[in-house]
Amino acid sequence: MFRLLSKKMRRWRTSSSDNQTQAKQNGSIRYLSKNLDGNLHILREELGQSSDVIIRDMKISSNSNVDAAVIYIDGLVDRNLVNHDILQPLMFNLQVIKDNINQKHSSLIDFIKSSVLTVGQISGTEDIDKVISNVLKGQTAILLEGVTQALLIDTKGWETRNIEEPTNEVSIRGPKDSFTETLRTNTALLRRKIRDPRLTFQSLQIGERSKTDVAVAYIKGITPDHLISEINQRLKRIDTDAILDVGYIEQFIEDSPASLFPTVGITQRPDVLAAKILEGRAAILVDGSPMALTMPFLFIEGFQNPDDYYARPFFASAIRWLRLLGFILSIYLPGIFVSLTAFHPELFPTQLLVSVAAAREGLPFPVAIEALLMLSLFEILREAGLRMPRSLGQAVSIVGALVIGQAAVSAGLVGAPMVIVVAATAIASFLVVPYADAGALLRFAMTIVAGFLGLFGMVIIQLEILSYLAALRSLGVPYLSPVAPLNIRGLKDTLIRAPLWAMDSRPASLESPDMRRQSPGQMPRVPKAKPSKREGQ
Amino acid sequence: MKREKRIKIYVAMVLIIMPIFLSGCWDSHELNKLSIVSGLGWDIDPDTGEVTLTYQSIIPSEIKSSSSSYGGGEPKGGSPLRTIKLDQDTGSSPYDVLSRYAQHASRIPFYQHTQVYVFGKEGVQRGIYPFLDTQARNPVSRPNALMVVSAEKKASDILEIQDGLENIQAFGMAAVIKLSATFSKYPAVTVLQFQNRLLSKTTAPIAPMVGIFEETGPEGEKSRKIRVIGTAVFKGDRMIGQLNERESSGLLWAINKIKIGFVMIPEASLEIVTAKSKIVPELQGDQVKITIEIDEESNLVEYKGHQDMNSDIVQELEKGQAKEIESQVRAAVDKSFALDADVFGLGDAVHRKYKKEWKDLKPKWDDIYPRIEVVVKVKTHLNEIGDVNKALIKD
Repeated sequence: MFRLLSKKMRRWRTSSSDNQTQAKQNGSIRYLSKNLDGNLHILREELGQSSDVIIRDMKISSNSNVDAAVIYIDGLVDRNLVNHDILQPLMFNLQVIKDNINQKHSSLIDFIKSSVLTVGQISGTEDIDKVISNVLKGQTAILLEGVTQALLIDTKGWETRNIEEPTNEVSIRGPKDSFTETLRTNTALLRRKIRDPRLTFQSLQIGERSKTDVAVAYIKGITPDHLISEINQRLKRIDTDAILDVGYIEQFIEDSPASLFPTVGITQRPDVLAAKILEGRAAILVDGSPMALTMPFLFIEGFQNPDDYYARPFFASAIRWLRLLGFILSIYLPGIFVSLTAFHPELFPTQLLVSVAAAREGLPFPVAIEALLMLSLFEILREAGLRMPRSLGQAVSIVGALVIGQAAVSAGLVGAPMVIVVAATAIASFLVVPYADAGALLRFAMTIVAGFLGLFGMVIIQLEILSYLAALRSLGVPYLSPVAPLNIRGLKDTLIRAPLWAMDSRPASLESPDMRRQSPGQMPRVPKAKPSKREGQ
Repeated sequence: MKREKRIKIYVAMVLIIMPIFLSGCWDSHELNKLSIVSGLGWDIDPDTGEVTLTYQSIIPSEIKSSSSSYGGGEPKGGSPLRTIKLDQDTGSSPYDVLSRYAQHASRIPFYQHTQVYVFGKEGVQRGIYPFLDTQARNPVSRPNALMVVSAEKKASDILEIQDGLENIQAFGMAAVIKLSATFSKYPAVTVLQFQNRLLSKTTAPIAPMVGIFEETGPEGEKSRKIRVIGTAVFKGDRMIGQLNERESSGLLWAINKIKIGFVMIPEASLEIVTAKSKIVPELQGDQVKITIEIDEESNLVEYKGHQDMNSDIVQELEKGQAKEIESQVRAAVDKSFALDADVFGLGDAVHRKYKKEWKDLKPKWDDIYPRIEVVVKVKTHLNEIGDVNKALIKD
């Protein structure tokens, strides 16, 4: 049923985007004219009367008879660079140079480009729209009277956030840098982890108005080509106003928009992204977002954590089990409690039944209503704690702890076991962060069904979820692989995390063309004892 | 292609909807609408056959208040039945009684956690067939509940005595019986084990007997407590006699139910470490010879003599122990023959070993059984003599 729905959505989506791409191709290229005032007029009109657009008229050359204009956007450019390396050489140095400069303006611009400006990246263009778009990116344009070419100088330099510690994905032993909002910084962070020349960033712009830079990152020869072309195809299909966050991209390109579980991975850690790319995935970085997308995303990735790989394997494997347990608890625990109290009290151990019965004595609501009430209260608290101005945080935690914890029990509205169940569920749901959202929704579904049908209903829902997950795909890779379909070698990184020296090949389900990760048999061994000693024994 | 997909969707829908019609336990009973029956007493009038049921139910609100006021000390002047309450109904049959329950109860009785079924002494002598029938028929009752025979007249006599550490009397009683079985004093018999013994035709069912004894406290106050006092022996659904403490132990030795416990001999006390027994039948024509082989290992925990330990004394202790065990078993064997009840399952042992011959033996079993020759062979081994080798005070 969901699949039918999603198919319809997809059909509708592709047909509408086709219409728009056709409309867009109707415009033709506009060129710069020889008349500087005319050009400036067009630019003023296009860029509007914005106060941050600076158009600096001036006269250059030794005889001060050449009109010129420098155009940039205040705030996007490095002001020092513009003042010292563009304006100063143009206005001062050119006048000082008493050379016989040909009065031909067209060669003047070449002279400026080659001998006057002391900045790195300069290009020329005759397309007026290109001038506008590059100025909006933070470049500085120089226009000369009588020349149909504009110089575009890379002067990008705006205020950016520093690279900080990751806040969402905390690791104990791993590196402590995280992505920022600047695409270049992010690509550099990744490049520093992988110095392979085959690491490729494929750039494109998405968003009619935002013109956001998007980069697809992959290693040629490791990420399968068909994945990259599929991602590119999906990205090119996006036709929207603005991409304000990587989440916009995620929703436009995911495989199953109707799925509760995410089919696109998300990370803010360069080391995680590097690892995913090295496993044969592709990544999508978006300017303005401190997060990166990875595709394909498999169910098991939600349970993997960078520290699993940085720490030794034993504890890491145990923690994997713990995460799975937490995930299961976070979905089923309230439902199981409701089923047992309302439908199957015989399943309680006898002493536990007596305690639960004692706690439930005189409570006004049926247990299912009670559970839903407490779960909703928790979600309200969580959301309030998240969105509220930080200075108010303490108020919520005090009120929440008192209301949920004590007052509700002592007022006789809810039983103490329910508080414990909801609290345990709440904590457990944050063990597996990628599925916290899906888990919350499923938890409510399970509780409601348990209220109507007991464990029996929960089993039905469980079967539906399992079969849905088994049918789910991310970029064509089965969502539950390597467990279903089963791949024995792939299990090395699922419920147990095998030692690094044992994971010789990349995950098989990703079908990387270069499966070899390392040479096999690197298990550290005790060096062989000297033969002379052995003879003595 | 399209049609195929549509079929797939239909199949998926059917698969989703179908399980809802499957059968399952999905009646909702809120926990605070149930009355948890912790123990159920059965009395059957010896003359009329009328059934009286005594429900011992838990009062949850009392448990809540008592658990929240730890250290409050004994409630003065409060009734001894604080956490439980007894209800009684009489009727011509068990379900007749149950139907009367609804006339005075505010909650549905919930039997799944019933720990003990207590039978009044008068009733068991008439036969407990109504119980066995409803128990076997009804899915709500659990076969792991314990069977207890009251040494008093009525089951309610036992169920109303509140004592011990457990706050719910029936749970306490179950614990007492289980502990007596752990220490190899009396058997603990679940409903299932009772039924199994019934089904074998030759074996006699057994159940522990619980009686009341009065205790006088240090300040002269009297309190009544329950205590396991024997093993009831059944023939069919009727109790025909009982084994005393010594005979009960002997029974447990023979049927391999010894777990831990002590063997007392005049010179010493010994703690059982491991014990194994086997009943080995031997068929000679119409004559059956049964050998009860017991293998026991023990530690010395108490020695009354004043000599230093040596291998002679150890051997003596082993011998004395073997003699004691043998005499216990012998007592049980004699009693079982006196009652004409096969509490050891000798018939089953013969049946298991001589499957072919059993067909001929079965009709004649009642004649063969009294003539069975029972031999008891006990092997004992003293493992450790304790931390001291020498007597602390020598004579």
